[in-house]
Amino acid sequence: MTLTHGVDRAFLAGRPPARETTETCLEVRDLNLFYGEKQALHRIALHIPRRRVTAFIGPSGCGKSTLLRCFNRMNDLVDGVRIEGQVLLDGEDIYAGSVNVVNLRRRVGMVFQKPNPFPKTIYENVAYGLRIQGVNKRHVLDETVEKALRRAALWDEVKDRLHDNALGLSGGQQQRLVIARAIAIEPEVLLLDEPASALDPISTLKIEELITELKDRYTIVIVTHNMQQAARVSDYTAFLYMGELIEFGDTNTLFTNPSRKQTEDYITGRYG
Amino acid sequence: MMSETATRRLRGRLLRDFLARLGVGLGGIGVILAIVLIFVYLLSVVLPLFKPPHMAAVAAYPSPAGHPSALATAQTLYLALEEQLEIALRFSSDGTVTFFRPDDGSVLERRRVVPEGTARVTSFAVGEAGSGAGGFLGAYGLADGRAVVFGVRFEVSYPEDVRVITPLLGYPLGEVFVTVDPEGRPLQRLAIQGGGEEEPTTLAAVVGEASGIVAARFVPEASFLGDGLTWEVYHGSHALGTQAADFLLLDKMQRLLYVADEAGALTVLEVDDEAGLAVRQRLALLDDGATLTALIFLAGDISLLAGDSRGRIHQWFPVRDAHNRSLLTRIRGFELAGGEAVRLLAAERHRRGFLAAGASGEAVLFHATAERELLRARVADQALELVTLAPRANALLAQDAGGELHFWRIENEHPEISWSALWQKVWYESYPEPDHVWQSTSASNDFEPKFSLTPLTFGTLKAAFYAMLFAIPLGIMGAIYTAYFMAPRMRGLVKPSIEIMEALPTVILGFLAGLWLAPLLEANLAGLFALLLLVPPGVLLFAWGWQRLPLPWRRRIPEGWDAALLIPVLLGVGALAWACGPPVEKLFFGGDLPGWLSHELGMGFDQRNALVVGLAMGFAVIPTIFSLAEDAIFSVPRHLRNGSLALGATQWQTLTRVVLLTASPGIFAAIMIGFGRAVGETMIVLMATGNTPVMDFSIFQGMRTLSANIAVEMPESEVGSTHYRVLFLAALVLFLFTFLFNTLGEVVRQRLRRRYSNL
Repeated sequence: MTLTHGVDRAFLAGRPPARETTETCLEVRDLNLFYGEKQALHRIALHIPRRRVTAFIGPSGCGKSTLLRCFNRMNDLVDGVRIEGQVLLDGEDIYAGSVNVVNLRRRVGMVFQKPNPFPKTIYENVAYGLRIQGVNKRHVLDETVEKALRRAALWDEVKDRLHDNALGLSGGQQQRLVIARAIAIEPEVLLLDEPASALDPISTLKIEELITELKDRYTIVIVTHNMQQAARVSDYTAFLYMGELIEFGDTNTLFTNPSRKQTEDYITGRYG
Repeated sequence: MMSETATRRLRGRLLRDFLARLGVGLGGIGVILAIVLIFVYLLSVVLPLFKPPHMAAVAAYPSPAGHPSALATAQTLYLALEEQLEIALRFSSDGTVTFFRPDDGSVLERRRVVPEGTARVTSFAVGEAGSGAGGFLGAYGLADGRAVVFGVRFEVSYPEDVRVITPLLGYPLGEVFVTVDPEGRPLQRLAIQGGGEEEPTTLAAVVGEASGIVAARFVPEASFLGDGLTWEVYHGSHALGTQAADFLLLDKMQRLLYVADEAGALTVLEVDDEAGLAVRQRLALLDDGATLTALIFLAGDISLLAGDSRGRIHQWFPVRDAHNRSLLTRIRGFELAGGEAVRLLAAERHRRGFLAAGASGEAVLFHATAERELLRARVADQALELVTLAPRANALLAQDAGGELHFWRIENEHPEISWSALWQKVWYESYPEPDHVWQSTSASNDFEPKFSLTPLTFGTLKAAFYAMLFAIPLGIMGAIYTAYFMAPRMRGLVKPSIEIMEALPTVILGFLAGLWLAPLLEANLAGLFALLLLVPPGVLLFAWGWQRLPLPWRRRIPEGWDAALLIPVLLGVGALAWACGPPVEKLFFGGDLPGWLSHELGMGFDQRNALVVGLAMGFAVIPTIFSLAEDAIFSVPRHLRNGSLALGATQWQTLTRVVLLTASPGIFAAIMIGFGRAVGETMIVLMATGNTPVMDFSIFQGMRTLSANIAVEMPESEVGSTHYRVLFLAALVLFLFTFLFNTLGEVVRQRLRRRYSNL
């Protein structure tokens, strides 16, 4: 059993190094988050590069999903959450008073762990993001739906039943549909919260391939439990532990040559 | 291998599992069985309504006139049956009556009615029974202008516990002979009506060549000494002129005299207290050259039935026209098969049924109100000469052209019921036009029962509609707010409070609605409308103002508690509206809005109306709708809501496009179950509707619902009667209604649930 919880370092060693980072898309500055009295995130600071895949890994409850939700302010919906610090999207603080949350969420899309298509047709699911913005022109919708489904690698499977209920799709298809729904409104950032954890291995593989294809267009942040997955799909990896950012860096480096002892312990499966 | 104890435990577990399954299964089957049994019971009571009537020959025998040759000299003028069918009577033209057993024709007794040696008998008439038990009044008209008025009564006694029926024959006017035509002309046709010993009696007759009509009225007066009655006698006459007088009918109120000839020309004469005659209306009963062959009253003496030579029977009764004149109007027609000329008509005594016979010896039973041909049977091989129906319409006695008598039993319990009588407009006697009417009983014996379920069904739906109009918006909106926006702690207070409302006995709601709310609303109608007009803008204005307040102020109220702020606002606006009701009413509506509505808009105002019922029953239904809808909305998975919000949808868009869509089956079920409850609700509608079975959709009019009707009338209806069974039919309709709505709700809910099952 060479691969229990750890990562096959030989595999990682063969990977080409990530392209040089250029631009920061999301910057987290000194972020503290409290659930009531309990502090869930401690002084997080990191730069998420544009058009790259950044993975958040860490044991359960370490705060990686909470951090992800800070990027589109989904934590606002949770009672008793207090946030200190800043999250800058293209240099603007998304927690500033002037920011329109609805607008922010249009720019920062999100895909959840459990596929959550609406009980509508496949077409209407993908068109939903446009419709709520008031776009109702048939040809615009048709075009966008097709484009989004093609990008989500779902078009060929559903093109003949666009007007069937989306709940008839398999779990993997539903998750790709949800991704298509998210990218139909052309977000800048795509947040993926454990997108494959509820799926079978083949569906997982498809999602991973999709992520690789999408990173040319979108800044992708993915939370995952699965370290191989992080290693396979991401360019950068952040390791969180107990609400703190332990280490952040190039995926290859982090997995092959972690600078912190805790990272090393986690990726070799000593805890988690 | 399992150890001994493990095996025993396993067995115990399996046994418990089996018992539990058995219990649950039996319970479920029991519920279904109970419902099926209720249905079967209702059906078993209702079904006899639709059982086809039946008649069977009991006996046929020669007329008890003695031997056949006697028939030529003493013709049968009239046949009658006593109520218990133990005695039959035959009045013959020689002035005698024969009492015989209808079962076998054996003669019991023969008596002379017209003393021997007087003038020839020229006519005969019977009137309505003055006293019960199948008695009646009759008269022989004589060739000398006099008549013999007699009464027949049946006395029932029980010597040694055996019922004995004794026929009694008397002369109720005190004398054997009374003068009808003072000029002494033969009485060619005769009509008589009398109300018994203390009431006036009227005779009318056709005399002379030129269709002279004479009337004689005998009014009893107690003598000064109190030692008996004296009779005040009035005479009147009228000449018809060219019209012949082949048929003569006098109604039992002794007010209207109908004279018709064979061509169908009819003159309606009014008879005044002193026997004066005046023409009220002249008309043609037939308009296409047919010949009038029979003319009788239907029970109650309001409707005329006219049979013609083309096999048609026309029903006519007086209808008030625009000038409030009561004019005879043709209402409906019936037909004998094959257009055979109508020879005989005979009416039932208490119901609107009648019998018609043509030339072939076949008798056909009809019911006028139900517009139904009930039954046809060949009573004899020859044409019938005379026919009579028993007082209870359970037998007929007929004489054919060969002088043979036929006695038949009839089973015809519920002739009044037909699809048209239950659901369609029916033109009832004394009504100006066909209408849907429910009026099952009245004080009079001659009452025409009106069993239209339409106004009751209408009332049920109307009550439910207004209740839903009130309950759906409040229940659903409240559910949406509570499930979607309200803070969990506040929800924890609000939801159980509303659900507790459901436990309130509806009799209390009905009581409050009928005795407190109805008068209150009548007095403050303007205030109520002011409330409806002011509250929504008041709430919106407050919400707008609240949004404008500086943030620190708003922060003081935690999110999801903002609804609590509305409580004082609602109370304030409500009080304001209520207070400005009376001034507004005074200013614009003359201080009396209900009166203004009825005078200016022609909208009648009942104190107990659909508004009161809508509010009270709506109040009763709100908890059901609210609770089910709230559950449905609250159980919409959170990840759907988050998915929508994460796409940049606002809360409102998320609510309307995703949450409500997903919860729609539950909301639909909530509405259907609420509707089912409103349809079946009894106490509130019983106490707050006024129970008037009118067909008026106005919110200010009352109604009577199926359920309230059953509650009101079931205690007073005779078990097994048509009325009783129709009430059960109403129950069955109600049962089907609620069953339908609940099934519909459930089917839709199940289908949508299956569709959304993998959410």
